[in-house]
Amino acid sequence: MDSFSSPSSGSSPKFSTDDIMTQLRTQLEQAYAEEFLETVRGKCFDKCITKPGSSLSGSESSCISRCIDRYIEATGIIGKALFNQR
Amino acid sequence: MDPSALNSPELQNLLAQEKEKAMISEMISKLTSSCWDKCITGSPGSKFSSSEANCLTNCAQRYMDMSLVIMKRLHQ
Repeated sequence: MDSFSSPSSGSSPKFSTDDIMTQLRTQLEQAYAEEFLETVRGKCFDKCITKPGSSLSGSESSCISRCIDRYIEATGIIGKALFNQR
Repeated sequence: MDPSALNSPELQNLLAQEKEKAMISEMISKLTSSCWDKCITGSPGSKFSSSEANCLTNCAQRYMDMSLVIMKRLHQ
């Protein structure tokens, strides 16, 4: 795997291309997840919490649950539509 | 870290692929957000109505059509 420099040179180990790419992909995954979370929060708050009360009502909670499922579904529909056309 | 590792054609190629994937992901993300606003007008149900689902599909495809129109126009 990685080659380590000899003790006498004192320099740090080389990182392989694999290491760099793995780190990059992990960071990208995290960024996408955060962005998705933020978007879903915004959309479902707008749709479901129309008159904020002193706590989340049962209907607000079910709305939020449906909203999350629909938004995930919408993402899939858009993805398919973009790459499956004609 | 050995600086010459950054110049490898292999790495540059992999980075270019990741960049393309990232651009596609961003487009899907933005388009889903816009099309949701355009198409899902009421309260979210336990499934999409066929008109909602069709609207979402149409939305994405019309976006691509529009994109083509814009590119043609700007290349005249």
